[in-house]
Amino acid sequence: MSAGYGDIVVSGYIECAPLIAEELGPEIAFDLVDSVSAVAAKTGKLEAAKFPKAALHAARKLPDQRAFRAWINLIERFAAIARESTLTLLENMEELLNDLSVSQLEAWIFAGIRLSGGDEEERLRFFSFENPESSRWLLFESESVGFSSMAPQLRSLLRALWNTSPPLREPTLSTNEKVKRRAGFGQGVIRIPTSFPGFQGEHATNLYRACIAHIGAHLTFSGDRFPVRKLKPIQVAVVSLIEDARVENLAIREMPGLRRLWLPLHVAQTPSALSPNHALMAPNLLARLARALIDPEFSDYDGWVKKAKLEFFSREADWEDPQISRELGGLLGNDLGQMRVGWQFDMNNYVVEPPYRDDNLGLWDFGDEEIPPDALDAEHTFSSVRIEEQLEDDITPPDTERQETEQDPDSSATPVKVEVQETQGMPVAHYPEFDYATGHERPDWTTLVEYAPLRGDAAEIELTVDQTIDTLNRVASLIKAAKVSRPTRARRLSEGEYLDLDACIEARINQRAGLTPDPRVYGQWVRQDRDLSVLVLLDISESTSDIVNNNSESVLDLEVKAATLLSHAMAGVGDPFALAAFCSNNREDVRYFRLKDFGRPFDRQAYSYLAGLQSGLSTRMGAAIRHAGVDLGNQETYRKLLLIVTDGEPSDLDIKDPRYLIEDTRRAVQSLTHQGIDVFCVGLGTEISSSLDVIFGAKNSLVIDRIERLPEKLPQLYLKMTG
Amino acid sequence: MTTSDIGSTIDQYIIESEPYYQPLGNEIGFFEAAFAERLPMMLKGPTGCGKTRFIEYMAYRLKKPLITVSCHEDMTASDLVGRYLLDGDGTIWHDGPLTLAVRHGAICYLDEIVEARQDTTVVIHSLTDDRRVLPLEKRNELVTAHPDFEMVISYNPGYQSVLKDLKESTKQRFSALDFQYPDTSLEADIVAHESGVDIEVAVKLVNIAGRSRNLKGFGLDEGASTRTLIYAGKLVKRGLSLQDACQIALVLPITDDPQLRDSLSTAISACI
Repeated sequence: MSAGYGDIVVSGYIECAPLIAEELGPEIAFDLVDSVSAVAAKTGKLEAAKFPKAALHAARKLPDQRAFRAWINLIERFAAIARESTLTLLENMEELLNDLSVSQLEAWIFAGIRLSGGDEEERLRFFSFENPESSRWLLFESESVGFSSMAPQLRSLLRALWNTSPPLREPTLSTNEKVKRRAGFGQGVIRIPTSFPGFQGEHATNLYRACIAHIGAHLTFSGDRFPVRKLKPIQVAVVSLIEDARVENLAIREMPGLRRLWLPLHVAQTPSALSPNHALMAPNLLARLARALIDPEFSDYDGWVKKAKLEFFSREADWEDPQISRELGGLLGNDLGQMRVGWQFDMNNYVVEPPYRDDNLGLWDFGDEEIPPDALDAEHTFSSVRIEEQLEDDITPPDTERQETEQDPDSSATPVKVEVQETQGMPVAHYPEFDYATGHERPDWTTLVEYAPLRGDAAEIELTVDQTIDTLNRVASLIKAAKVSRPTRARRLSEGEYLDLDACIEARINQRAGLTPDPRVYGQWVRQDRDLSVLVLLDISESTSDIVNNNSESVLDLEVKAATLLSHAMAGVGDPFALAAFCSNNREDVRYFRLKDFGRPFDRQAYSYLAGLQSGLSTRMGAAIRHAGVDLGNQETYRKLLLIVTDGEPSDLDIKDPRYLIEDTRRAVQSLTHQGIDVFCVGLGTEISSSLDVIFGAKNSLVIDRIERLPEKLPQLYLKMTG
Repeated sequence: MTTSDIGSTIDQYIIESEPYYQPLGNEIGFFEAAFAERLPMMLKGPTGCGKTRFIEYMAYRLKKPLITVSCHEDMTASDLVGRYLLDGDGTIWHDGPLTLAVRHGAICYLDEIVEARQDTTVVIHSLTDDRRVLPLEKRNELVTAHPDFEMVISYNPGYQSVLKDLKESTKQRFSALDFQYPDTSLEADIVAHESGVDIEVAVKLVNIAGRSRNLKGFGLDEGASTRTLIYAGKLVKRGLSLQDACQIALVLPITDDPQLRDSLSTAISACI
């Protein structure tokens, strides 16, 4: 092993091998030699020297030989992919393994690799924790209870307890550390910390629940914001505290069990054990008062706390009025201000205790001159996510909203207006992406941005319609003939699957009565109507500008033609259908163009959108499929079909591994199938059939190289739909 | 062909003892007025809010037999009107529940009418306008409704899909009463009475129901109904803790989403 690698590698190994052997057995330590060589070959001396040390940590942290071998294997793979970050990763191994199992470590590592999209510097920033995303993913992979895992539950809890649903947000990365530690509300959003350090498992879950219950109490019982005016910081803190206690006590009146949720988080003690100095510090006194005002059992010898408690509970009849917080808090704050603790109070370093309570900034009106920086922050966050919020929380279906803002058909739209729409995409949703390397979906990985489609010349499409009227009619009659619906009972048939009892009895009765019995005594389950909605999703990535075979038409031209044919037929039959197109520019910008929504006519506007399609960018198909799935999922038909027209396999700039997006797309298709949406892919061009088979399954994809063949291929699809 | 002697069987539809019913408003007066004119009535409202109990109570109060038909999508017109059946040496006509009610002057209550197919529901059309007749085509008979005959349907607009709705021509034959869950103290009285728990427990149950009704449209199609509260109350009466009773009567039946179940359970423990 010493051959060529130098002394430090050897000495690193010699130092750690016996200890590893002690942990997991000598054969493991021997096998390590090969791995060290492998790592050295892929990276360098320094890494190879560090490797045994990291392996020793792994040997100590990991439960058994199998886990250890998996770890070795992971590191070797990592060294092959990201040599520049290997040293950093090995250096952090001890801490990483404190929080993560091997499979979680693998998931975190691949999150970093995918995130940096092959950029070495970016990768190093991730693995050296300079990129804040790495901490966030660490939190996620270690399955700690955090905002992302709790948010859905908190949303419904807030709705259940307080019948309100303001959007919940994590603090942005730029928010200052103090603000990140506590929840807050204001500007119509609730800010919830990404995590509560020091709280794990059930404790963290309860803390989040307590937190949302408390903020809900504010939203319900706190009135208008208090003007700050000339109040001293200590008074602001005390008024806030009294207000917290007031809303909590009102909430407990309604829901007594909330006390059990909040009380365990009050840990302030009467300070027998503390040094007298600390006991008299304002934050300590405030925490004790907070407890005294919600915990009737808690008694404190401090005169100020006693007085406050007495005053507060003697005013029980007035609790409904927010002004008593202001009044009582002002007085008590003033008292405290007279004491040494008061004027030593440092608002800038004061953090509200216990941790479930919010920072109370939402209670105060700071006037014009002083707006706290994080309030602006919250507003900023809000404005950028407003669209997303509508989708999440608004009951109005997005379709109607969109229709209202839709512009008039092309004739009246001024070019300037269109220009503004075109350039601005609206981020509307985040979707997960599946990483086959780890076998998990990474949540909120892609951002789907909806762009208004460009307008083109509707006459082009009209021309296509005119030219292909023959084909069109054939397609239409094929579609019309396909019965797609829930089977219903057909009665009184001359042949069928079972006897129709009513008909049998009637026949018998007629026989007895001396009349000729009706021989149609069978019944059958049949599909009689069409109950199907279709979304046609067009791939308009750069490659669709290629010219096909000897033709003068590009792939995109073919797609538009096919879409026109199919749409025309579907519109004629009356099936609800929608048309959309997609392309992508990395995971942050998956572009989605709505050409025609469900419930809108297939008219000149849709024509002009179709004609206006331009090829460009890449094919991140998974996110587009998931987005289309949401639209289709809202349709109330018996069958739902997503029809994808593409010319190639999924790809994107930040993805070097061709299998990655194929697997993700496959996963997206599977998840739609789970929701009862059939996904079918029509591949244009001849080279792509193999990957389409992998993604969609052989039965659910077909490859067409000439547009004339579309009508003859379509029956296959519809046969499958009805089968 | 002989008509079986069903006259005596109508008696089994008479409600003997007074059902417990707590009025929410003027619905008893409204119904009596409509009944006096024999106007067809439609009872609207969420599941488990007391529609069926109300009609039972009214039948008792008006001393009329009550024939209830639970509608389903495989129901045919003959299931309502009647059909010929075979017996040993001939065929006999058997009146359906609707014909029975029409002949003998009962209240015919079609529960969840939208579940029935539209071609089935049109058989009630001639009964629900001023003609008040029921043609029995197979028997070649036109049955004129007994003066006491009254048609009542229930209709829950909330949970059915838009695909299932009444025809406009059906809807407009009816006058409607809208039922909602009773207000808090009344609902607590009802729960206490029906389940036998103390009023304090009943108040808590109603409070809990309020939390789950908040989630209607936010993950739940419908919040906990008065009926489920009564079930929970009965379980408490049998010795279960309130939390456990609510878990099995209110949480587990209405949602399968683990996050939503967690929220509901937390909300329930907040109310206890």
